[in-house]
Amino acid sequence: MKPLVLLITLLSSLLCAQGLDPAKLVQPATDTWPTYNGDYSGRRFSTLKQINSGNLQSLSIAWMHRVNVGALRGIPNVQIKSTPLEVNGVLYFTVPDHVWAVDARTGTELWRYEWKDQGGHLIGNRGVGMYGNWLYFLAPDGWLISLNAGDGRERWRIHIADAKLQYFTTMATVVIRNHVIVGVGGDAMDVPGFLEARDPETGALQWRWYTEPHPGQMGAETWPNAGSMEHGGGMTWLPGTYDPELNLLYWGTGNPNPVFAGQSRKGSNLWTCSIVALNPDTGKLVWYFQASPHDTHDWDDVETPVLFDGVIDGQPRKLLAQAARNGYFFVLDRTNGAKIVSTPYVGADWAQGTDAKGQPIPNLHKEPQTDGTLLNIAEQGGTNWFPPSFDPETGMFYVNAQKGFSLFYLIDTSANPEGYGGSGQTLWWQSVLEAIDYRTGKICWSHAFPGTGRAESGILTTAGGVMFSGDQHQNLIAWNPKSGDILWHFHLPASVSNGPMTFELDGKQYLIVGAGDTLYAFTVPTQK
Amino acid sequence: MKALIGLGLLFAIAAFPQAGQSQRDSSLDRRLQRGREFLGLGAPPDAAAAARGQKLFATSCSFCHGANATGAEGPNLVRSSLVLHDEKGETIGPVIQHGRPDKGMPAFANFTPEQLYDIAEFLHDRVYQAVNRYGYQIGNIVTGNPAAGQAFLAQHCETCHSASGDLAHIGSKYQPADLQALFLYPGTQLHLPISVDIETANGRHIDGTLVSQDDFTIVLKETSGRISSWQTDQIKFQLSDPLAPHLQLLPQYTDADMHNILAYLVTLK
Repeated sequence: MKPLVLLITLLSSLLCAQGLDPAKLVQPATDTWPTYNGDYSGRRFSTLKQINSGNLQSLSIAWMHRVNVGALRGIPNVQIKSTPLEVNGVLYFTVPDHVWAVDARTGTELWRYEWKDQGGHLIGNRGVGMYGNWLYFLAPDGWLISLNAGDGRERWRIHIADAKLQYFTTMATVVIRNHVIVGVGGDAMDVPGFLEARDPETGALQWRWYTEPHPGQMGAETWPNAGSMEHGGGMTWLPGTYDPELNLLYWGTGNPNPVFAGQSRKGSNLWTCSIVALNPDTGKLVWYFQASPHDTHDWDDVETPVLFDGVIDGQPRKLLAQAARNGYFFVLDRTNGAKIVSTPYVGADWAQGTDAKGQPIPNLHKEPQTDGTLLNIAEQGGTNWFPPSFDPETGMFYVNAQKGFSLFYLIDTSANPEGYGGSGQTLWWQSVLEAIDYRTGKICWSHAFPGTGRAESGILTTAGGVMFSGDQHQNLIAWNPKSGDILWHFHLPASVSNGPMTFELDGKQYLIVGAGDTLYAFTVPTQK
Repeated sequence: MKALIGLGLLFAIAAFPQAGQSQRDSSLDRRLQRGREFLGLGAPPDAAAAARGQKLFATSCSFCHGANATGAEGPNLVRSSLVLHDEKGETIGPVIQHGRPDKGMPAFANFTPEQLYDIAEFLHDRVYQAVNRYGYQIGNIVTGNPAAGQAFLAQHCETCHSASGDLAHIGSKYQPADLQALFLYPGTQLHLPISVDIETANGRHIDGTLVSQDDFTIVLKETSGRISSWQTDQIKFQLSDPLAPHLQLLPQYTDADMHNILAYLVTLK
């Protein structure tokens, strides 16, 4: 080989060794897990099957990586809630204020990046997005930071949201072609929610879509006045999903503000608590489905809108499914938002049926009252941020759910309430893993975890006929996704705190799980 | 959007049966501090200055901005970006002193620097009261019909409870909000032991109380005091939860039932 050719080969292999090939973003995740959800669909289903229902008894720990960051402000016990990316043998993962790159084969730290925040909530960080050789990390106080994936050096930082206004930023950015999609959190101070796209090279703003209309625009009729829209909440704090064929970005929006006190925002409060479809090139709204019109229970509708194709009444359909925090399971036609299924998967007596669009109709008597309202659902709702999964081989949607009863109080009774304006309290709850038939919303099987407490683990399904998730008792558990039978478990020092992910490297399948402050890699023995 | 962590503290009015006022205050202080840290609010406002500032605000500012600074003819100052970025009056003060003639706000040139600081602290305190939800206080919740509550208890609860027995004086032991959560599901505040009866593979019975349980293992404190751990697939076991009747009732209450029962229980002084 001539020196020049050798140099070019070497350079390109070096580039490949670090950068993310954009083609990987639209392929099933096998040797690469390039986004928070593994691919754009949000299914968290892997076609890998080296780890399978026949060899789970030999599944064992290959390595562990503990993050020694100690307590963070307001957070005594740090939890890894991020789903790592895996690109070219390197895992990238986060906790608030920190990013790591570790060797996917050994867990050895390659570099770490640390941020000194000036406020914001350190409740969690979901991970990073990647474009070529660049990572995109959100610091809690509203900074979007681009890092060099090769060495963790900062390339640029841009302030996108003001922590003094109680915005905070925790999500894993979603990269679509040359758009870095960024969402925000924060509902303590009645600020408007938004989603925006940034240029991956420069960080320049490409578009910003507000979750509330401006006066005079479509949707403004669902608010009483300009002030209520300007302070209407609707945060965008979990990664959405994307259909490259339809070129539609799907996102769930958070609860309206003031949170529990709805008297100053009478109306359905579009586009809070909604599933929205946007054009990722322009940020223009294409369709919406409002999961909770005029929410007064703090039930963000940010849970992953999971995309898959299915058959409904004999017809092939492009579908979107969501287990919403308000206790409803929705299946929509993702081309237009038309309802296919809208039915509760846990108690949901806050609603009195659904309207013609399939949107639940709130029962006004179940809004928070000064002397308390008793609801048949946990205060946190039916589920929360932990990622669900859809297994195309079983046709079932899996969610870690909670059943429960709760009390809601209205506290700020003034005409112009502020912030939360009320409170909620769970009386009793039970965690239940549910497998739901996407065609009907019927529960195929459910597994109630003994005892109280909340299972907050994400779910991974695989072609190996195994589903992985965790309980609230520190067990990593493998299920038969079809029957709900437990096949295997492993007791960890902390409960599974992220969405498990998997990839293949050097002919070996790795299962990666975050539990508390430690990342664990599991493998099965392979023939030499 | 809600913090998953800290939930136990969030609005949960901790039960302090027969607690003195100072204990209650220190519990509130702890919650507020927890909220400050979690929400990234920094140091709390200067309460003495805020109290002085409130009087100045009432006299000079409330006509336009409302008594609570949430706006009237003038803007809501609690949500004001300028207020939220101010630390100790350094940006609020000059606006008060010079006014905003273009927006119709007159100048208040006679305030001393100390008074401007006091007004700024009053505004910061208003922000703090709104933002730090860990300090929210539930209002008056005793609205029901005591006679109807008494009738409900007679019908559903007298197998286990009586007004002259275990429920005597319960209305003076608990604040109403605590009492409401307590009677609906006592497990929110009391840890009543769950009885366990284990039958081992060779037919031996072991009694005790539940320490912990998951899908694979059950840990109990045996009657002898010994703590033992058992694989659930190797034994048979039965749990007896004293709160099971409360769980069975939870789906049956209407909100009116709940209010009526509370109204009756608070009369049991």
